[in-house]
Amino acid sequence: MSVWAAADDGYADLSNHDSFVAGPPHATFARLRREDPLAWCDYAGGKGFWSVTRHADILELNRDNQLLSSARGIRMEDQTYEEYLARRTFQETDPPDHTRVRTLVAKAFSKPVVALFEDRIRSLCDDILDQALPLGEFDAVKLIARQLPMRMLGQIIGTPDEDLDWLVEKGDALIANTDPEFTAHVLDKSDTDAYRLMPFRSPAGADLFDYAKRLMEDKRRKGDDSGVLSLITKPDSEGNVISEIEFRNFFCLLVAAGNDTTRYSIAAGLYALATRPELLAQLQSGNEAIWDTMADEVIRWASPTMYFRRTATRDFEMHGKTVREGDKVLLWFLSGNRDETVFEDPMNVNLMRTPNRHVAFGQGGAHVCLGMWLARLEVRLLFQELAKRLKRIEQAGPQAYLRSNFVGGIKSLPVRVELN
Amino acid sequence: MTKITWVLKDGSRISADVADGTNLMAAAASANVPGIIGECGGCLSCATCHVYVDEGSLAMTGTADGTEDAMLDATDAPRQDNSRLSCQLIAGPALEGLVLHVPA
Repeated sequence: MSVWAAADDGYADLSNHDSFVAGPPHATFARLRREDPLAWCDYAGGKGFWSVTRHADILELNRDNQLLSSARGIRMEDQTYEEYLARRTFQETDPPDHTRVRTLVAKAFSKPVVALFEDRIRSLCDDILDQALPLGEFDAVKLIARQLPMRMLGQIIGTPDEDLDWLVEKGDALIANTDPEFTAHVLDKSDTDAYRLMPFRSPAGADLFDYAKRLMEDKRRKGDDSGVLSLITKPDSEGNVISEIEFRNFFCLLVAAGNDTTRYSIAAGLYALATRPELLAQLQSGNEAIWDTMADEVIRWASPTMYFRRTATRDFEMHGKTVREGDKVLLWFLSGNRDETVFEDPMNVNLMRTPNRHVAFGQGGAHVCLGMWLARLEVRLLFQELAKRLKRIEQAGPQAYLRSNFVGGIKSLPVRVELN
Repeated sequence: MTKITWVLKDGSRISADVADGTNLMAAAASANVPGIIGECGGCLSCATCHVYVDEGSLAMTGTADGTEDAMLDATDAPRQDNSRLSCQLIAGPALEGLVLHVPA
């Protein structure tokens, strides 16, 4: 199986996590884009849903949060209103609620503020690569891709270094809650009823809630205002502050979202380098312009957040079908990013792709990724440091994919390297 | 139609006749104006459609307020008194001849 070609027969069950364990079912998405761009999908775990797979439709629908609400959940799983209220982050709200929290946190994740972290990220990349590369043969996801976002998150949050491994473990348990490698409470396989009011229906959410509370109390006591969280807990110019519940849920969101998505982007980039030697040569060619475009291309190709779900607030017609009020509508960013009508040779990596109107960050809507500048910076810096050191990198064994149709990608990748 | 002109950092100018009712972030994308990105599609979540309103045009646009004002703290190029998010500027007779400067 390879990321370069589809792994399925064109008729995969998108609602089933197992359909993604050999890599995303790209042949199915290609068929849907061609034949059935608004496809009804049955779902063994609950109510069925609509799949939107074309780039243009994703952009159009993502923008219209009056028509398609985020405030009934953003995964395909059904939630009761009680569960929704207890578990929601500002991802699961619509304007104006969303806007209020978003503006409170926007500056902390803006391009110029994130750029201040460049030296620190570069030095984290140094440390990580100095540990991994001399081994010669190793799991590149475990030792590289998984390491950078975790350590960077610690810098951003201002957590003590010794807590990082614990945080990553909890973040994995939250997001990767459908893969038995990362949680004992597999969402669709065990009884998770006891955790139904916790973030991501996972007991890890409760642990993270407690941790967030203690961390902020600790910081307050010590007068420590380092880290992005302190920026967020300060009142804005109009005196608005983030509430305790909002803060708690935001913290969980940071640990989950900041950790996984960048990891799977880096993992996809490493896989690309390990299987297409010309890509490393391009990064080493001395063409500086490539660094302006490579991160977005790696992130497009990875599309670690495969979809977000919305819920129709009223009936509407599209492609000759009627979506009913209350229906779940999934925007498959993963598919939009392989749309042949937008991207030339979409299954391939073109590190110089310009323009690159991918939707991996949920572009085109209010929920566009808050961490997108940080993600781009992390990817660019890691590959810059890697390109300086590597003479050769090749795959040393089969890669494995996370069991997930939501956020996922390559979870292990044995590689062999030769250094300069 | 409203005539809008974007002045790029290198001094070159791009003009377009924009259909009334169109926001000027979308108009910039249609006219291929570099440097105006609009990642959030005009939902006031990203601040990537930042422009400086030409001093001579300020009376037409007024200044930012509310959410736009808050989001202007998250722009890439430094915020100035004449900063606006162009997704919040809507083409119409009041903006005829508007001149905008693209920061990057």
